Amino acid sequence: MRPYIVFTKKELIEYGRTYKFFILFTIFIALGFMNPLTAKFMPKILESFMPEGIEIQLPPPSSLDSWAQFFKNVTQTGLFVAIIIFSGMMSREYEKGTLVNMITKGLPRQTVILSKFTASTLLWTLSYWTCFLITHIYTMYFWKGETVLELATSTLFLYLFGIMLISVLLIGSTLFKNSYGGLLFTEGFIAILFLLKLSHKIDNYNPLQLANQNINLLSGNLHPSKLKSPLFVCCTVIILSIISSILIFDKKQI
Amino acid sequence: MNILTIENLSKSFGDNLVIDQMSFSVPKGSIFGFIGKNGSGKTTTMKMILGLLKPSRGTIEVCGERVKYGQTDTNRFIGYLPDVPEFYNYMTAYEYLKLCGEITGLSKKTIKDRRIELLGLVGLDHNNKRIGTFSRGMKQRLGIAQALLHEPKLLICDEPTSALDPIGRKEILDILATVRGKTTVIFSTHILSDVERICDHIGILHHGKIILSGTMQEIKKYYHQDSCLIEFSNIHDRDRFLQATTIENLESSTTTDRICVILKSQALKRMMQEIMSEMIRLDIVPVKIEILDPTLENLFLEVVK
Repeated sequence: MRPYIVFTKKELIEYGRTYKFFILFTIFIALGFMNPLTAKFMPKILESFMPEGIEIQLPPPSSLDSWAQFFKNVTQTGLFVAIIIFSGMMSREYEKGTLVNMITKGLPRQTVILSKFTASTLLWTLSYWTCFLITHIYTMYFWKGETVLELATSTLFLYLFGIMLISVLLIGSTLFKNSYGGLLFTEGFIAILFLLKLSHKIDNYNPLQLANQNINLLSGNLHPSKLKSPLFVCCTVIILSIISSILIFDKKQI
Repeated sequence: MNILTIENLSKSFGDNLVIDQMSFSVPKGSIFGFIGKNGSGKTTTMKMILGLLKPSRGTIEVCGERVKYGQTDTNRFIGYLPDVPEFYNYMTAYEYLKLCGEITGLSKKTIKDRRIELLGLVGLDHNNKRIGTFSRGMKQRLGIAQALLHEPKLLICDEPTSALDPIGRKEILDILATVRGKTTVIFSTHILSDVERICDHIGILHHGKIILSGTMQEIKKYYHQDSCLIEFSNIHDRDRFLQATTIENLESSTTTDRICVILKSQALKRMMQEIMSEMIRLDIVPVKIEILDPTLENLFLEVVK
């Protein structure tokens, strides 16, 4: 247990001192503020860009618009930045040869994988939920009294989807000695999820739904129980990814 | 007692056979010089001892325990200094040693005591800068400190001096010499003067095999071939001397370089007598007559021929 805590601490120090945590956290805070503000002021902004004489009729913004911004920004910008920040998890250590000392000092190989996963998930958790909190507070402030359905479930789904991408990235980063390898591996995985959308039958199990059905959950168009299968697949992918990363790293020559 | 025993070890990468049926052992308490040309398989052998590479065949035993690839318990006996040690650049030397100590499972107090002692030994105490700003020599010294942290029985150094300037090299060799007796050291290199300075045992690796191993004295004695250097005051004297029949009849090999002549023979005393009597007869006064010590360099060049 002690090596696990020690190495996880080392990972967190690394994210701190190399400014990676700072970058990730700042971006998520910025997104947190942007979501409600964009939703609130979008009609006014659009109006000011319109040439004179032309009028557009937009419905007044609602809290649902603010949450729509949240899910759009976190999936498109937030996750993207997180993946890039975490892409070198293992491969950077391979490239520099820094693990040789740790392993020859008796650090169990599986601890390396578990610590890497723990540290990156912690960072993701902190950034994601801070962003959520900021958006939540401002949305409540701008649209007093308005409520949306299933907010907790919906945000939890996207959070788990993020953890799944991190775990897939961990396999990619363990497999390849170059950080682009891990990045491409994860992109390939996402591309496959998008391709699976084409088949209706398989799409019922597609974990991608956890990241793109959120608004339907909030507006009540979709009941959370419909996403049971994707949720199950998502959790399975996380567990299998961690196990396979451990197995791959056991065989890896460093 | 042997700290390290290697038997019939082979390793190939694809079709390329790097280590071929290698066998040797390192006795306890020695400083073992592991000598070989670049690419002769020194690093590969060391990585196999550490369980970082999987041998194709053969066995390795450290302190009587067999080394297994992957999860290596034997590494608790070993301290390792890689050829280019890499650390986490964002840490200070002090923090890095703490991390190493905690991973090894040392107690807090031991870590603190050892850290202060070792940083003093390698001259990095009072250095609070991050490792990223360290010079190569400083990194090499930190590398020794981390390798010695858990008081290993065997210290493996992969070319610790090859990339350093003369002062850096001296510092590293001095540190290695201070651990003599407490820790067995295996020290790979192609710098032979370093080996002569601190090693008491050597093994010469060539084409994946140990072609010569033993104690330094034994080897020098066994390969003892005395040679004598004579420096003349001019070329005319040199030629007269070489044309003398007694010298021509000497059972020896001769190398000439302008006014110098080197004569080699198995029977030094007889050769010297004949050289001197010949000089008196020819009335030649040499500038210098010197008996040359056998050097490791000559020996190395001879065995890898």
